[in-house]
Amino acid sequence: MAKNTRGIEVAEIISDKCIACQICIGECPVGAIELSSEGVARVDAETCVGCGKCADSCPVEAVKFEKKRRKKAKEEPKTQEVSLASYQGVAVFIETVHGKGAQVSWELVGKARLLAESLGVRVMGFLLGSGVESIAEEAIAYGCDEVHAINDPLLLHYRSAAYGKALADLCNDVHPEILLIGATHLGRDLAGVVATRLQTGLTADCTGLFIEQETRLLLMTRPTFGGNIMATIFCQNHRPQLSTVRPRVFKMPEKDMGRKGDIREHSWEPPAFELPEIVEFIAAKSGSEDIAKYPALVVAGRGACDPATMPMLEELAKLVGGVIACSRPVVESGLMPYERQVGQTGKTVAPRLYIGVGVSGAVQHLVAIQGADKIVAINTDPNAPIFKVADVGIVGNFTKIVPELIAQLKAKLGTNGKRESA
Amino acid sequence: MHFVCCLKQVPDTVEVKIDPETNTLVRAGVESISNPYDVVAVEEAVRLKERYGGKVTALSMGPPQADAVLRQAIAMGADQGVLLSDRAFAGSDTLATSYTLSKAIETLSKELPVDVVLCGKQAIDGDTAQTGPGIATRLDLSLFTYVIAVDWIDPEKKRIQVRRAVEGGTEVITGPLPALLTVELDLAQPRRAKLPQLVHSLRAPITVWSGKEISASPQLLGIKGSPTWVRAITSPPARHGGPKFDAQQGTPAAVTGAVQTLFSDEDFAAKFKEKREA
Amino acid sequence: MNETFDVVIVGAGPAGISAACVLADRGVKVIVLERGEYPGAKNMFGGVLYGHDLKQVLPDYLDRKCPIERNIVESRIFYLSKDGGFSVAYRDRAFYEDRRNNVFTVGRAKFDRWYAEQAKFKGALIVCSTVVTDLLRDSSGRVVGVKTDREDGDLHAKVVLLADGVNSPLAARTGFRPEVSSEHVALAVKEVIALPEQVIEERFGVADGNGTTIEMLGDITLGMNGVAFLYTNRNSVSLGIGANLADFARRKAKPYEMIEMLKTHPMVAPLIKDGKSKEYLAHWLPEGGYDTVPKLCGDGFLIAGDSAMFFNALHREGSNLAMASGKFAAETILDALKSGDFSRRGLEGYVRRLRESFILKDLKKYRRFPSFMETHEELFTSLPHLAGLASREMLTVNGMSKKAKQGLIWKAIRAQIPPLRLLRMVWDAWRSV
Repeated sequence: MAKNTRGIEVAEIISDKCIACQICIGECPVGAIELSSEGVARVDAETCVGCGKCADSCPVEAVKFEKKRRKKAKEEPKTQEVSLASYQGVAVFIETVHGKGAQVSWELVGKARLLAESLGVRVMGFLLGSGVESIAEEAIAYGCDEVHAINDPLLLHYRSAAYGKALADLCNDVHPEILLIGATHLGRDLAGVVATRLQTGLTADCTGLFIEQETRLLLMTRPTFGGNIMATIFCQNHRPQLSTVRPRVFKMPEKDMGRKGDIREHSWEPPAFELPEIVEFIAAKSGSEDIAKYPALVVAGRGACDPATMPMLEELAKLVGGVIACSRPVVESGLMPYERQVGQTGKTVAPRLYIGVGVSGAVQHLVAIQGADKIVAINTDPNAPIFKVADVGIVGNFTKIVPELIAQLKAKLGTNGKRESA
Repeated sequence: MHFVCCLKQVPDTVEVKIDPETNTLVRAGVESISNPYDVVAVEEAVRLKERYGGKVTALSMGPPQADAVLRQAIAMGADQGVLLSDRAFAGSDTLATSYTLSKAIETLSKELPVDVVLCGKQAIDGDTAQTGPGIATRLDLSLFTYVIAVDWIDPEKKRIQVRRAVEGGTEVITGPLPALLTVELDLAQPRRAKLPQLVHSLRAPITVWSGKEISASPQLLGIKGSPTWVRAITSPPARHGGPKFDAQQGTPAAVTGAVQTLFSDEDFAAKFKEKREA
Repeated sequence: MNETFDVVIVGAGPAGISAACVLADRGVKVIVLERGEYPGAKNMFGGVLYGHDLKQVLPDYLDRKCPIERNIVESRIFYLSKDGGFSVAYRDRAFYEDRRNNVFTVGRAKFDRWYAEQAKFKGALIVCSTVVTDLLRDSSGRVVGVKTDREDGDLHAKVVLLADGVNSPLAARTGFRPEVSSEHVALAVKEVIALPEQVIEERFGVADGNGTTIEMLGDITLGMNGVAFLYTNRNSVSLGIGANLADFARRKAKPYEMIEMLKTHPMVAPLIKDGKSKEYLAHWLPEGGYDTVPKLCGDGFLIAGDSAMFFNALHREGSNLAMASGKFAAETILDALKSGDFSRRGLEGYVRRLRESFILKDLKKYRRFPSFMETHEELFTSLPHLAGLASREMLTVNGMSKKAKQGLIWKAIRAQIPPLRLLRMVWDAWRSV
């Protein structure tokens, strides 16, 4: 324990642990802490008064401070405001795509059931649109106890302001304690608007949701810092506890058309301000795919960046129920479009099966595939970084390995392989 | 026209090396850079200024050394840089951040009404993509996320038309100003600054505002104004490399070994089959 | 661009920044152009710095929180054969006390950025990611500024200081200095190996932020003219090895393999055991010595640091020569600004200052050293081997009489180096240092 010249035992920052969240900087009563140019907090020993507030507030225990304090400065947990108790139930925003419920919404209904059971509350579907009755019934079939819908021609197409107001209005009517939204393009846009309207906390792109029994709080786990740290976040004094979740994180629930539930339509006052107008929708060219949706990806890297190899990779992808994607050099070469790029500036993916062909495994690529269930790597270089994360590696020339793999998988699976409709 | 770009200083993960043993990013010595999406926002703002005239203000929130991202924006053509720096801002989550930025934009509007706010689609460190929608909602701006092109701005009628990347295609959408755009990387290629601008950016005064200057309510700032709290930080379950099969010993044998290893995980094999046949 | 500066400095390394600090301190309008993304991005040195020269530029460098890794209290020299080696170590109480910070280690990127920050505080403009592509001259051939790779990138100044390093394409292109020949540069590679602070202190017998440096000579450079080093940082050690570039080419040696071999040497391996590689860097060192020092100034320009081939190959001093020469250049420029004479004559004071200083005195003293090393490859081949043989035999107790052993050793020596050549070598060595 270091002392300063005034003999005060001062706090020290453990650089390796510090995540530069700056919470301690805000807590320090004397302004002794600043963020260094290396991006870690630094305590100015001479200014430090040894109060230990930084150590208390640090979420990652990166402050070394062992002084036995006379009074424990730890704050008593605030008593929950009474009004929070009036929020009950787990709600899921049911996203619609071309008149159907989005798969991620059903996955979330499945998860909401589990959360609701441990809380002893009901699962609610929040549905917005125009002519969405059949989707409401589907929501019941997937596990909603009740569906709250706003049916309005203004909501036929997604527009942030209209949907944001509608969903916030539903929350204000129904008071759910938890609201889950799929982290799709639409969902991420909507969640930011709703959270701001409701002045509540939002945790984006969660990969894990749990109920803490003693407090009935929702604990939300999400990857941060490029996926190398998992943060568990909670929202104590604001409701609903709002979270977005990526597709395919949770399992699809069973559909039971015999389930019963209440469907309630809410009257709605559209926003008073002028909404943007959708002038045109230009459908993506055929061949355009959202690679993040597929349970399997065959990813071409620099080592397989050749038009001639694509049919072979396509065949493998089809066989395993996925599509082809690529790393950044392949996009830069012009062989594949940006939308197929896996990586930090491309897409983060979490397929059941990832097959990297000629992918060496740059950091930016590896952080984007961390969520994959199984990683298979094929590369000529036995020292390629990707082998350090691959569950199975094959060292050698992919032009020989891939056809052999196709042949063996065909034999193993005993079919010609059906492509999944995603 | 008054364009405001919001920029965030983030750790440059391009410089980050992965620790081969713990499989984590080594943060020591990592450079700070401007969030790449935000740099595209600056580029687009400067192009819009060149097209329609007006002024570009670069806005950031962070410690004093975050002035670097504002200087970069000025080098690219922004007219002024405003840094929101106050101990009270520390620990802000996205709700408090969007509050602070929106108060700053309100303050800027008093001098010259803001017509378009441009933000990056998301930051590469947090990936939350919430700040832009949050600001738009607070200030009642028309919100356009995932913008890949700005078709036109009509300064007379105060309208804008943009193209957005949405699932399954591109949406062409028009709406009233003021508006907030969150931009995709392919919207514009950031320029390399001319030497005089670069030199100018290094000497340009940066306006620093604390909570007082933007008339912010202290209880809505920083950690106090943040509903979400971090309970714990953990390393993700580290992946460990599995067996490697060398095709030099015969391709079929290597592939057989690999396939067997893969399917020896029964849970995976079952899920894989189910998914594939779905 | 239109604006004219008093001084343009090319390169934000130790030489350029030292000059910038001194000039900005006196209110001179100075701009530094750096090709890297930040100062130090394209720079490398072993990591040892001398407090004396830094103090000349920044007397209060300790108060300014200079990022010192370890204060060096012990210097060791290893003379290594392939499988063994001698170690000489020297420690002195003075280096703990009143001569503290005589020598210390710094992290390359950290120090350069910190150093550049100091110049910035003093008022120098530091422009990064900008490459100087050529010099601007007036009709009489006088240098009046530089051309950069940016749009509208011509920069006019009263005087230009070239401090852009050893392999500066600019110096070569502008004809101030002949293109460096591969005999006159060394290729050095360095690996930074992470070790816990406590482990370093135990292994090297140091504490309280003190540390050790080790210079290594001998067979480790595969017979090439070169040396290796190991420096202790706070929680890492820098392990490096370098050899003459021409030798590398001749022997088709791979620097990476050399450093890997060095890591397994019995004298080195225990010092880096369980360490993790953090960084791998390569760099040129100008080791041609006094005879390769170019014309140091001309009409409108001066050359400092590695660009001027200021490097003491024997004592492995480079960055302190760079700092001192940068400071001398700045002082000369201050004189010229007063007199208004930026011609070669007006800048001659720079050469005088260098002559009167340790820089040219040392380089002159060791003038013969580079050629001595170049022409005596025994130093790196048979000699370490023979020394190893002698020690191994004398230390091995196996029943053979010591006299018989001496005979055996002499025989081996005579077989590999003719006695006359050995004598000659000792004489040459004495003369060259």
